[in-house]
Amino acid sequence: MVFAEIIAWWYAHGWQVFIQKIRTSFSGITDFFSMDSLIRTLFKPFRQISAESAKADASLDLKFQMFIDRLISRIVGFTSRLILLIVGTIVIIVSGILCLCLIIIWPLIPFLPILGIVLTVLGVTL
Amino acid sequence: MSNVFDPKNPRVKKAYQKKLFFNPPVIALCFILLLILLGGGVILLYIKHSFGWIVLGFAALPFMLFFWIKNCLNEIPVTKTKNFTDLISEDLLVLLKKDQTPADLTSVIPKTRSGSFLMARFELPIPFFDGIRDYLPQSVEPVYETAKTIREKTNSEEITGAILATALIENIPNYEQLLNQFKLNITDLYQGIIWFNYLYGVVKDGKKPVHSGGIARDFAFGFTPTLQRFAINLSTRYTGSSNKIQQAENVEILKKIIHTFTTAGRQNVALIGAYGSGRSTIVNSFAETLMNADSKIPNSLKFRQIYSLDAPSLISAARNRGEIEYFMIKILNEIYSAKNIILCLDNAHLFFEEGPGSVDIANLLTPVIEAGKIRMILIMDDQKFLEISAKNSALANSLNKIVVNPSNKEETIKILMDHVPYLEYQKSVIYTYRSLLEAYRLSEQYIHDVEMPGKAKLLLESAASYATGGLVTEASVQAAVEKSYGVKIKVSENKEEREKLLNLEALIHERMVDQKEAVSAVSNALRRAGAGVKNKGRPIGTFLFLGPTGVGKTELAKTLSEVYFNGEDHIVRLDMNEFVSSSDVSRLIKDGATDALSLTAQVMKQPFSVVLLDEIEKAHPSVLTTLLQVLDEGILRDEKNREVSFRDCIIIATSNAGANDIRERITAGEKIEEFKEEFIEKLINSNEFKPEFLNRFDEICLFKPLSKEDLTDVLDLIIASTNKTLEPQKIAVNVTPEARQILIEKGYDPKMGARPMRRLVQKTVENIVAAAILSGAATPGSTLTITPSEIEIN
Repeated sequence: MVFAEIIAWWYAHGWQVFIQKIRTSFSGITDFFSMDSLIRTLFKPFRQISAESAKADASLDLKFQMFIDRLISRIVGFTSRLILLIVGTIVIIVSGILCLCLIIIWPLIPFLPILGIVLTVLGVTL
Repeated sequence: MSNVFDPKNPRVKKAYQKKLFFNPPVIALCFILLLILLGGGVILLYIKHSFGWIVLGFAALPFMLFFWIKNCLNEIPVTKTKNFTDLISEDLLVLLKKDQTPADLTSVIPKTRSGSFLMARFELPIPFFDGIRDYLPQSVEPVYETAKTIREKTNSEEITGAILATALIENIPNYEQLLNQFKLNITDLYQGIIWFNYLYGVVKDGKKPVHSGGIARDFAFGFTPTLQRFAINLSTRYTGSSNKIQQAENVEILKKIIHTFTTAGRQNVALIGAYGSGRSTIVNSFAETLMNADSKIPNSLKFRQIYSLDAPSLISAARNRGEIEYFMIKILNEIYSAKNIILCLDNAHLFFEEGPGSVDIANLLTPVIEAGKIRMILIMDDQKFLEISAKNSALANSLNKIVVNPSNKEETIKILMDHVPYLEYQKSVIYTYRSLLEAYRLSEQYIHDVEMPGKAKLLLESAASYATGGLVTEASVQAAVEKSYGVKIKVSENKEEREKLLNLEALIHERMVDQKEAVSAVSNALRRAGAGVKNKGRPIGTFLFLGPTGVGKTELAKTLSEVYFNGEDHIVRLDMNEFVSSSDVSRLIKDGATDALSLTAQVMKQPFSVVLLDEIEKAHPSVLTTLLQVLDEGILRDEKNREVSFRDCIIIATSNAGANDIRERITAGEKIEEFKEEFIEKLINSNEFKPEFLNRFDEICLFKPLSKEDLTDVLDLIIASTNKTLEPQKIAVNVTPEARQILIEKGYDPKMGARPMRRLVQKTVENIVAAAILSGAATPGSTLTITPSEIEIN
């Protein structure tokens, strides 16, 4: 009786709950890697470690030196963000594929005991 | 059919399934079984045994069961129909039966979460519900119908045990009368339902995932080592689970702050409001909003962190003023470079004036605020803001001012409902609903330096120390005020106290003779206060005692202080002949730090006392005008503009004005009540007192001169007092009737009252006793008998 109820729920509301859970964990992963923030600030200096802008009357040498400082800081920022973006993207893609597989497998789960019996009867081993 | 409980409803079935499965042992069993099957299957397949597929396949069953229990049975949502069964809470689904009567429901209430919540918070014990059984209707249908109505009125999602309890009460004829016994009304119970719903919602929200920016959140923002040394990061407190009840006004203020920081112009906000009005709460709410990734705010504000600068730590770390400025410049530079900091100056005046714990760095901060490049929040009270504005108008004009008003009663109660779970967790107590109402009422009356809701929170916190059986009740709050402020709040409940009030006249007459009108007037005032029927917005009583000297005016004040106000030291006495010029007004209201004997300082220290204004007629008219507000509203503001409450004082002014007139009329055989009105009229006509001043007193009591018969009683009291003094030496004095007669003859002076008699006893009786003690004639245990001859000799 309970089993029948579980099966009925499994293919109706249960599936929705499962997809909702996947969406929640996806948004958790996105939040953890700060993906939107990384994209928005991709070229910003890392932790604002850069020299201030030179004043208008500063020498050309000084202006150039400051420009180089800022450039290096931006390159450091860009690199670290890019690494995180790549790692985050990989994690999201892998978990996405996994989740997709799970969504596909979901309706098959109640049939797994039958599948197990079939495989055992056929004598399949690893 | 809609107002009956349907046991065949699918929700009921699900509730029973939840009862059976949704418990830790079953969940753990499923989980262990799943692990065993998965592990066993893998091992079997590893050792090339095809049976492993069956084992692995059957692992799907505990997994499905586990997933179903955790996601299908975790909550049983209400169905939006009109059927009663579709609307009731989970716990009620397994407690209700089909053929129950309303009387049966009374035993269901304590078994539900919300029902027991209501019972505890509103002090409605199980016997209360047992007691109402006989008055309930026969059928449950009207009760269920009422429950549905209450659900709608309280905006509740489901019909809970608390709603059912309230519905039961509402179905009793004359339920208002019943609730009155518990000092409650039906609206209070509705508030209780809303309170439970709110707390339940907070617990549910706490389970939601938190999004707070992730690991790269602060990559684009700079380091701030100096700032972190001298400031507290308010944003790190954010946990994501908080869901504070916010006043409508505070929500508006938050919107204004966000608008200020996201539009062009000076990036600062000055929150102006009294201490306790919730200024810091607003800043904390703002910090939470900024750190919540899901909040709807512009990106330019998201994840900005609020740091509250700590003036004392800045001052203590710097060796001199130069170093303070050096640190401050460094902090401001760091904030400017970091790009994600909002600087909060709590008690901002500490940075704009010199003093202990404060430093005037206005020269540094004003240009920064004027430039508006650094986001800042300044918190200060309105008085300090006015002072700073007077000194530095440029600064005042650069600030975007937002006024924070104190919360009203309704808002304060809601804020307290939100606040008490934290206090309960800290202090391991439970607060009742009436304790919140009482905290509001009493803090409004007795705490004057802090505003709402801060003062009610403070009082609730201190009331935890007076909890009985872990429950903080109305009485606990009253006890906290009584102990902290030395006043009497509780309506006289213990027998001894009631007896004292009922027999006050007799107790007073143990110390003074006659003057029944005055004694009765003050006794009645104290009885009104003790029974809780006095006007809360006025002193306990205000009296003007008129009469010749030595007839007991001051003595009555002293006696009152001794008998009712916990001892003779609970008297604040001012000789008004020391307040004869208009400049003396300032001495009445001087700050306690400069003059501990000013009227306001003494009453602030000892609010439950007798205030005796001796010889009031000698005070300057300006002084009397100042006192009008005290007599009228029981409030006087000191020189620092703090409200000092006289509402727990009895104010007695004495005067000898018209004393001769009283004496002559009494000697002529007139009775006080026959000439009192005419006498007062005369005092007004002769400009002794202004009518508006006399009109402020609850009662004007005329003291009659003492007769020879009265003096006999006075003598008895004086000798009794001498005996009391000698008590530690175990020596007693007895004055023979003949000797008494001599003393009365010699000590009687109608103009001077009882004072000559006191002096005479001192010169005769006390001198005789002193000599006897020194000569060894009076030894412990002996009784000295004073005879006429001894008095004659002395």
